[in-house]
Amino acid sequence: MKRVTANLKCCWICPTVLLSLFVFVGPPAIAFPQEKITKEELLVLPGEVGRPGGRLVVSLRGEPKTLNPLIAADARSREVIGVMQADLVHINRARQQTEPALAKSWKISPDGLSYTIVLRQGLKFSDGQPLDADDVLFTFRVYLDENVHAPQRDLLIVSGKPITVRKADAHTVVFQLAKTYGVGERLFDGLAILPRHLLEKPYQEGKLGQSGSLATAADQWAGLGPFRLKEYVAGQRLVLERNPYYWKSDAQGNRLPYVDELVFLFVPNADAQVLKFQSGETDMISQLGAENFSVLSRQQRGYTMTDAGPGLEYNFLFFNLNDAGEKTSPEMQRKQKWFREVKFRQAVSAAVDREAIVRLVYQGRGAALWGLVAPGNRRWGNEKLPHPAWSFERARALLKEAGFSWSNGPNGESTLLDSDGKPVEFSILTSSSNADRAKMAALMQDDLKQLGMRVQVVPLESRSLLDRVTQSRDYDACIMGIASYDADPNSDISVWLSSGGLHLWNPSQAHPATPWEAEIDRLIEEQMSARTFEQRKKLYDRAQEILAENQPMIFLASPNILAGAKNSIGNFRPAVLEPYVLWNVEQLYLKNGTENATR
Amino acid sequence: MRVRRVLTRWLVTLGVLHGIVGFAGFFAPYDPVEQDRKSPYLPPMRFHLIDGQGHFHARPFVYALKLREGSFDRYVENTTEPQPVRFFMKGARYRLLGFLPCRRHLFGLENTRIYLLGTDAYGRDQLSRLLFGGQVSLLAGLLGAGITLSIGLCIGAVAGSFGGWRDSLLMRLAELFMALPWLYVLFAIRAFLPLAVSPLRAFFLIITVIGIVGWARPARLVRGVVLSAKERDFVRAARGFGATHGYLFRRHILPETSSVLLTQAAILIPQYVLAEMTLSFLGLGVPEPVPSWGNLLSSLQQYSVLVSYWWIYLPALAMVPFFLGYLGLASSLQERGAAYKIESRIWGI
Amino acid sequence: MRYLVRRLGHAFFLLAGASVLAFLFTALAPGTYFDEMRLNPQIAPETVAALRAQYGVDKPLPLRYASWLNSVLHGDMGFSFAYNGPVAPLLVVRARNTLLLTITSTLFAWAIALPLGVWSAERLGRLSDRLLSWGTAVLLVIPDLALALGLLIVAVRSGSFPTGGMASVDFETLSPANKLRDLALHMILPVTALVLSTLPLLVRHVRASVADVLDAPFLLAALGHGIPKRTLLYRYALPAAANPLISLFGFSIGVLLSGSLLIEVVMSWPGLGPLLLEAILARDLYVVIGGMLFSTFFLVGGNLFADMLLYWADPRIRAESNAR
Repeated sequence: MKRVTANLKCCWICPTVLLSLFVFVGPPAIAFPQEKITKEELLVLPGEVGRPGGRLVVSLRGEPKTLNPLIAADARSREVIGVMQADLVHINRARQQTEPALAKSWKISPDGLSYTIVLRQGLKFSDGQPLDADDVLFTFRVYLDENVHAPQRDLLIVSGKPITVRKADAHTVVFQLAKTYGVGERLFDGLAILPRHLLEKPYQEGKLGQSGSLATAADQWAGLGPFRLKEYVAGQRLVLERNPYYWKSDAQGNRLPYVDELVFLFVPNADAQVLKFQSGETDMISQLGAENFSVLSRQQRGYTMTDAGPGLEYNFLFFNLNDAGEKTSPEMQRKQKWFREVKFRQAVSAAVDREAIVRLVYQGRGAALWGLVAPGNRRWGNEKLPHPAWSFERARALLKEAGFSWSNGPNGESTLLDSDGKPVEFSILTSSSNADRAKMAALMQDDLKQLGMRVQVVPLESRSLLDRVTQSRDYDACIMGIASYDADPNSDISVWLSSGGLHLWNPSQAHPATPWEAEIDRLIEEQMSARTFEQRKKLYDRAQEILAENQPMIFLASPNILAGAKNSIGNFRPAVLEPYVLWNVEQLYLKNGTENATR
Repeated sequence: MRVRRVLTRWLVTLGVLHGIVGFAGFFAPYDPVEQDRKSPYLPPMRFHLIDGQGHFHARPFVYALKLREGSFDRYVENTTEPQPVRFFMKGARYRLLGFLPCRRHLFGLENTRIYLLGTDAYGRDQLSRLLFGGQVSLLAGLLGAGITLSIGLCIGAVAGSFGGWRDSLLMRLAELFMALPWLYVLFAIRAFLPLAVSPLRAFFLIITVIGIVGWARPARLVRGVVLSAKERDFVRAARGFGATHGYLFRRHILPETSSVLLTQAAILIPQYVLAEMTLSFLGLGVPEPVPSWGNLLSSLQQYSVLVSYWWIYLPALAMVPFFLGYLGLASSLQERGAAYKIESRIWGI
Repeated sequence: MRYLVRRLGHAFFLLAGASVLAFLFTALAPGTYFDEMRLNPQIAPETVAALRAQYGVDKPLPLRYASWLNSVLHGDMGFSFAYNGPVAPLLVVRARNTLLLTITSTLFAWAIALPLGVWSAERLGRLSDRLLSWGTAVLLVIPDLALALGLLIVAVRSGSFPTGGMASVDFETLSPANKLRDLALHMILPVTALVLSTLPLLVRHVRASVADVLDAPFLLAALGHGIPKRTLLYRYALPAAANPLISLFGFSIGVLLSGSLLIEVVMSWPGLGPLLLEAILARDLYVVIGGMLFSTFFLVGGNLFADMLLYWADPRIRAESNAR
């Protein structure tokens, strides 16, 4: 892929081709005494220059579980690991595009199958040990090792074959793919480069899972991120200190990050997080609900609240379209007859008052949704997707076409009957821990009552809900939300593909159950290996249209990303991608360090 | 007799309060699940007698509230048009006492809607929800406490009066029951219930389970009392006169436990009413949109509601008299018990 | 002495029984820790299956119980899926914090409830007693969470208390005296919340028990002898009413852990509450079982303590067990 990111502010992009030519053809003798290369190739970040020093305190909704990227499965651990580790190529969370990180440059071969990555020279891990191609090789060997069970492994398997990695010289690595991959260099985002000097021994002994626990001594752990471990107090806080060897500098050549310490306080309750921010004990807050955002906005004292606009979370309703064969109970068969009817699903979609959801659930800080690509995703949404208005008339007409009828009860309420004269009654599952979705369910219940459907909302605690939806598959309908971790379609791949685990209405199918699911599968597979953005976009747009026609997911709304920071924090620019406020943590600084929270 | 008068007073108070809740349909102006999406978090309306021009109206009236432009929860009063309150007017259908179909409501407005306790996040009338919610919650509280206490009394009495290995076994069992992971049991029960069971019925089932499970604590307390009552002089004397086990228990030991039991009841009923809040946190409570006191109170657990909408506190305040009624009833029953004991000692009955 | 040995035997039986039941019930609840991974688009189902096999989630229950017992004997108490390490060290650190909080607040609660209950029993039916009844009823209605949040709001508004947590960020750099002060300052709000949430129940019970004995002839006689009222109440009436109260005290030690769960979560207290709540919701089985074992342990301890107190305080029981 030739579409190298257009980040022209820095000077290293243009000679990419030249440089890699040089590396391949040039005499290897040049590279010999490694120590001679003392010049560090720092990445220079443009933008506001800050002042060094001080401490930044943020709260984390509960404890992280590990510092080890190989076993981290929860969001909190990933957030902490995010500021302690670095990747080869990074997706800029604000621009949603890739930019060089540990890789000074990369080149993709004309056939799109081999990626040549050139590392920055003279970089060091946070414990002062140098980084070279062997670390990268080791990292990918570990990620791909079946016995390690790293969550990263599955990302590195393209059409059934693992990526192979080869070292070209001390600072050049070549990745070989089995098939072209539309995502391109985005692949490398979030894949932390691990310190071989610390992890090789545990790896040989098969004890990788035990390393990097929170109780690890500070000098026994290292990474390439802006901060390194200082102190962990169980249940209370994690203190990180500035990595003196970090490989970025500001426009004036000051080495980043600016702040000396980054403290994560463990605050298990969302309201308590808000209160802690309000009292000035923490410096920044993110992942706020709309209610708390407006409380904080109303009484701003020394801090500023920011609405970063719609994010990538999409909330939707889906019906149980699983085919359990003969095991299906007669009642379920009757209900699935409605659910399988496209017009029934379209009617439900038409009857949902999305405007009320945005207003009452998100206090207007959100956007109504008609497709899977949330409005926060700037490049991939299909603008031509129809946005049918809220209309009971259209819903009734659709139901009538599908053979439904109404009967009037003695109290004047009307009941929807199916073609066999049975009343339409079903339940909607929702997670009891998510107040927003519970509210959506209550609003939908009221909307559907207008159509004569008797709907019961069943809140279930989240594991029980997952068990019902993905394992026993014994439910009628369910409301869920998914937040894409990246703007690229690839992050939602398992929602799209009929074989995917997040294809919630009928997950992990061996063969697509319907022609339109087969068509979506084809489009998505094709866009995965398409080479240009325009090709991919065209295929992806078509997939979105098919989804909108068939409504297996009835999309509801997408909340805005809300955040806040003290006025004394410089360079605070929340993004709509995770980690919402810490993505540029190395650039954050304290305008007047002395006034900072000390409690 | 003073004690009896106090007792009667508490009984009458509780009777009136329960009566209001029982006839919720008549006292509540609206259907508790009806949403008014144009007025979320609307503050309570006030009765007026004198309008903006200084004219006096014999019939009390209110001013309609309208959402302020571009705001989510700020309202402006429309003071140009007083809305007179009508009494005994026709409105939403309901079933009086659960079976008599009816349309009359104590009060209401002709053109717009009246919200005396304000509205919640969906624009539902808080007053109607408070009244209808009481039906569900009080029933659950009475049911749960009744089950718990009767099981607790039986087991506690058996353990206390027989003693020995039976006591030992039952008390170990009680300890085991108190240590059990009830959250898990409840998850499991919910998981085994088919979704087709109406959520309200599922809730009552779970309250029953909690009621059964809660026996350990009253049992321990009852046992303590029985143990000491057994050694009281008059019990020993009665035993010396050849009183049977059953007689002793009925006549002397049971009355001794009444004070602990009634205090427990007065505490358990509110506790079971409130337990529902924890249950809804786990997805086991009274489901939306059915109103219940637990639902009403659980909105108080949000910081934003707590500091933004003061009228959400009002239902909680309205529940205080109920709980106070139970507590008062318990303590005057207890006094009566004490008085009875003294009388019996004096008159030698 | 034999009494004590027998009680210890009971305790052991109880712990064993609780652990078996804990295993059974945790197996009944739907879902496992690895379910959420299945939803993670980055993780293949094969990986999840491999992890399940590695941790032995699919093995039959008796086998799992046996290997867990083995790990208890090694002092590990099983393995936390989430923390990827043994459970015991996780629990011990947090149990210490929970104990600090709950023991302090239990002591405070009883120190307030005893005089308050006696005082109101003495004034049975008078205005002051009724006001107290109102107060306890109001406290009873306020949800624990709202109470804790309300106290935190006070902290934010007044600015003189920290909003939750157990220590300041730079706790380690403080002098010992300042460390103590810092800890005390952080404890004020959670202790207040716990005291307020347990107080209504305790006051009711003390009041009821004392009121029960207040009309007893021996007290009338004592009053007739001209013994001062205060001495009468505390020297004679309170011990006579002690029996159910001691049972209650033992019980209140037993429920220390579960009682503080939610308040710890809201107040960000680094105790067992946040750990267990998260573990329950995430189905981190062995952490939950470990937490339950701890709580059984407290229960057993509390009851043991209460029994010993009863034995010491109530001569009737002493006489009975000596006679046997």
